[in-house]
Amino acid sequence: MRHLRSPYNPIHIPLGFIIWSLWFVALYGGLSVACEVAAPPAEAAQWTWLNALLLAGTLAIVVLLAALTHGFWRASQRARQRPKERFVAWTAAGVNAIAALACVFIALPILSMPPCL
Amino acid sequence: MSAPDTTRQPATDPEQLRDDFNAVWGNPRGWRALTIVNHTTIGLRFMVTGAVFFLIGGLLAMLIRTQLALPEQDIIAPDLYNQLFTMHGTVMMFLFAVPMMEGLAVYLIPKMIGARDLVFPRLSALGYYCYLFGGIILCSSMLWDIAPKAGWFMYTPLSSAAHTPGMNSDFWLLGITFVEISAVSAGVELVVSILRTRAPGMALNKMPIYAWYILVMAMMIVVGFPPLILGSILLELERAAGLPFFDVARGGDPVLWQHLFWLFGHPEVYIIFLPAAGIVSTLLPVFCQRPLVGYRWVVLGILTTGFISFGLWVHHMFTVGIPHLAQAFFSAASMLVAIPTGVQVFAWLATLWLGRPVYHVPMLWLVGFLIIFVCGGLTGVMLALVPFDWQVHDTHFVVAHMHYVLVGGMFFPLLAGLYHWLPHFSGRMPSERLGKWGFWLVFIGFNLTFLIMHWTGLMGMPRRIYTYETGLGWDMPNLVSSVGSFIMAAGIATVLLDIVLHFRFGQPAPENPWNADTLEWATCLPPSAYNFVSLPAVKGRHPLWDDPDLPRSIAAGEHSLAVIDHGRRETWGTDPLTGKPREIIHLPGNSWWPLIASLFIGVVCISLLVKVYPLAAVASIAAIIVLLRWSWENGAHPLAAPDAKVQPGDPPLHSRTQDGPGLWGMAVTLLANGALYLALLFGWFYLWTVSPNWQVPETQVFSPWLLLASALLLSLAYAWQRRALLRLRRGDDQGLAGHLWLTAALGLGHVALLLACLLGSELAPRSSAHDAVVTVMLVYSLLHGALACVLSALQALRVGYGYVSARSPYEPLVVEQWWGYSLCVLWVSFVALVLFPPTFGGG
Repeated sequence: MRHLRSPYNPIHIPLGFIIWSLWFVALYGGLSVACEVAAPPAEAAQWTWLNALLLAGTLAIVVLLAALTHGFWRASQRARQRPKERFVAWTAAGVNAIAALACVFIALPILSMPPCL
Repeated sequence: MSAPDTTRQPATDPEQLRDDFNAVWGNPRGWRALTIVNHTTIGLRFMVTGAVFFLIGGLLAMLIRTQLALPEQDIIAPDLYNQLFTMHGTVMMFLFAVPMMEGLAVYLIPKMIGARDLVFPRLSALGYYCYLFGGIILCSSMLWDIAPKAGWFMYTPLSSAAHTPGMNSDFWLLGITFVEISAVSAGVELVVSILRTRAPGMALNKMPIYAWYILVMAMMIVVGFPPLILGSILLELERAAGLPFFDVARGGDPVLWQHLFWLFGHPEVYIIFLPAAGIVSTLLPVFCQRPLVGYRWVVLGILTTGFISFGLWVHHMFTVGIPHLAQAFFSAASMLVAIPTGVQVFAWLATLWLGRPVYHVPMLWLVGFLIIFVCGGLTGVMLALVPFDWQVHDTHFVVAHMHYVLVGGMFFPLLAGLYHWLPHFSGRMPSERLGKWGFWLVFIGFNLTFLIMHWTGLMGMPRRIYTYETGLGWDMPNLVSSVGSFIMAAGIATVLLDIVLHFRFGQPAPENPWNADTLEWATCLPPSAYNFVSLPAVKGRHPLWDDPDLPRSIAAGEHSLAVIDHGRRETWGTDPLTGKPREIIHLPGNSWWPLIASLFIGVVCISLLVKVYPLAAVASIAAIIVLLRWSWENGAHPLAAPDAKVQPGDPPLHSRTQDGPGLWGMAVTLLANGALYLALLFGWFYLWTVSPNWQVPETQVFSPWLLLASALLLSLAYAWQRRALLRLRRGDDQGLAGHLWLTAALGLGHVALLLACLLGSELAPRSSAHDAVVTVMLVYSLLHGALACVLSALQALRVGYGYVSARSPYEPLVVEQWWGYSLCVLWVSFVALVLFPPTFGGG
């Protein structure tokens, strides 16, 4: 088994989706709690501090996932590695990329909807 | 250590080898057959039992369709009708779909990955008996007219004691929890088996695609089932003991049940679909005689489906009043999950396009699957749109969609798989003619029933009504659906007839009858209990296409681990990434313990049902004692592997290493346990935030100092044990027993303090949901701490017997994980119960 920090360790394959899951729980949980304790006024529509906060958090996660995608993709292109190791890095890169796209797609409604209506 | 010799070895007399292997692995007959633990028998038992439950569930469906065939019928009374549709859904989902798919995986996975058995065979047997007894208990309720009747998702408050006062809901909650022990145990061992027992050389990128599907499905079971187990425990506690988790008046919230149920319930759909898709991805290449197109993309699609499907649960709750933005998140995720499925569909189409498809009976079922499942997927995307969902919520449109997805996505591939692997089960070929008749009757009958049902739903017919007035436009579509359902039943009867007859009249199957590429066809037909006399090394994804001579060379003992004179059941323990052998895993043999343990668990279940709680307590203790006794026969025990000798050049036995399957099994089990605890934590924060009558006491109702002292003592015990185990890892076992005894004693102190905290508190768990959740969290830690003490004390005893030492250091390392988990949970509970409330409006 490769070292835990090696991009060829299969433990990294689900990493992107684990980050996505944590982001998703934080997004839904954060929205629910914020709406319960400090709901922004409905007339502000989508121009609220809560929308801004959710967007900023999403952006940070997307940047992280994009960076991870880049790192694993580069690792998957190193010709000196064996196919089985490149497979792991390629799959991890794919998972991170899909997780980043999933974050963007799911967060799109934040741009257009009031948070607590 | 040199690399083991996994290449061909000199041939031995195959007859002699077979006899020698049968002496060690063979199945007993008569009443001792109840002790069998090998995966082939257990997998078949799962499938046969699942088929029986399928027939029961199908019969209930026929009764439902008979009642709805014409308007204003009174063949079935409303109360009985409620029982029928509840039990139909429950039986099909919990007693047929999941166990059937798990049974097939239990049967196939070791053979496909070139192993002799699953990694925890006795756990397989326990899982089967829990499934069998749980299913019997649940179905027995129908005989006394007290079956569950609140719908297969048991929504509160309808399922609560106030509205369903009899035993109906208790049957569901206890029976299903019993059955879920089986699902989770099979999940754990499938994960560990796939990761750690593959054939030499079978790296992750060479793994059969079916194994990828099952790996993801099994992980989903491990993480997805515990929220429902927790929900069932909480609802049963509310019904039986009055703890008000879901009662608004006392600070609970019925919507919490919906969250817990659907946290399980939506992934459940994919838990059923993924293994079925795995069958499709395995069979299509065989019947097209070319490799699956886009293996890597399909793997990516499987992983994506597995994770994203956990982000959809709220789409079942669009009508309960959740903010629109939150609904939009789940709506988007629901649409997103169609994409990885679409990737797989295109991979299948491309495989069909590039191959030379041969339309044997399995292929018919695969084509039927593609048509029906794509339709079901499209209506799924429609339902993901919030306004549309509002329109058709709780109508027959949803029923039709659900059946298109589940029957199309699970039943059709399952039938394809059964026809494909029938020669493997029996050594005989089924009838083409009967098989085709069966397919067409089911296909036509299914579409007649459920295609029209979309229309019935769009015209506004609600689900779960036992009859309807004439003149609403629902008469004709209902009649057509009912006629279709009987045609479908005739088709299923034809398939059953074909399967039954083929055991007697089927032509003997030739070797590898479909020219398949995967290793399960390298066994004899039907297979022996040990699968392979010798374990081959694998060089590619299609071992039988690469080397069609494998069945012969395996039987001749030309590959590795072909020695059996040591009397142990052995298979390779390999590296999860590369498939390189790391140790020899020795497996336990046949045993009564799984049956006895499951019988005691059954007594617990029944005594809780009839509310004889002292008997439940006694049976629980008895079950724990049996399970601990079972664990005693392990490692260097005379009944396990007292002699650690291996062939020159082979790696050591796993029990003589520091990284065997038990460590992985414990880690995956704790993942399931952690999912349950996180669901409990979610319940705590959810009720705190949302529950309309949440009552927080002015002052702390239990002593935080006692809880803190208890957590500190547990930390000390853990640290002490860890220090001793670090030395053990370095090969120093001096004073090990003493350290373990001391650890157990410190742990006992922790338990005593926690008990004092609980008993000395002013908690009123029947009066408020707040106190009820606190009580459950404290009891959870109490039970974990107590079990940790017992496990360490047992290890100390085993050191005394010589079963644990520097030469066999494996078991205490497994137990250490339990301690670490218990410690983490207690500190998290401390933060949640003591530090969180003052910052969030509590005392």
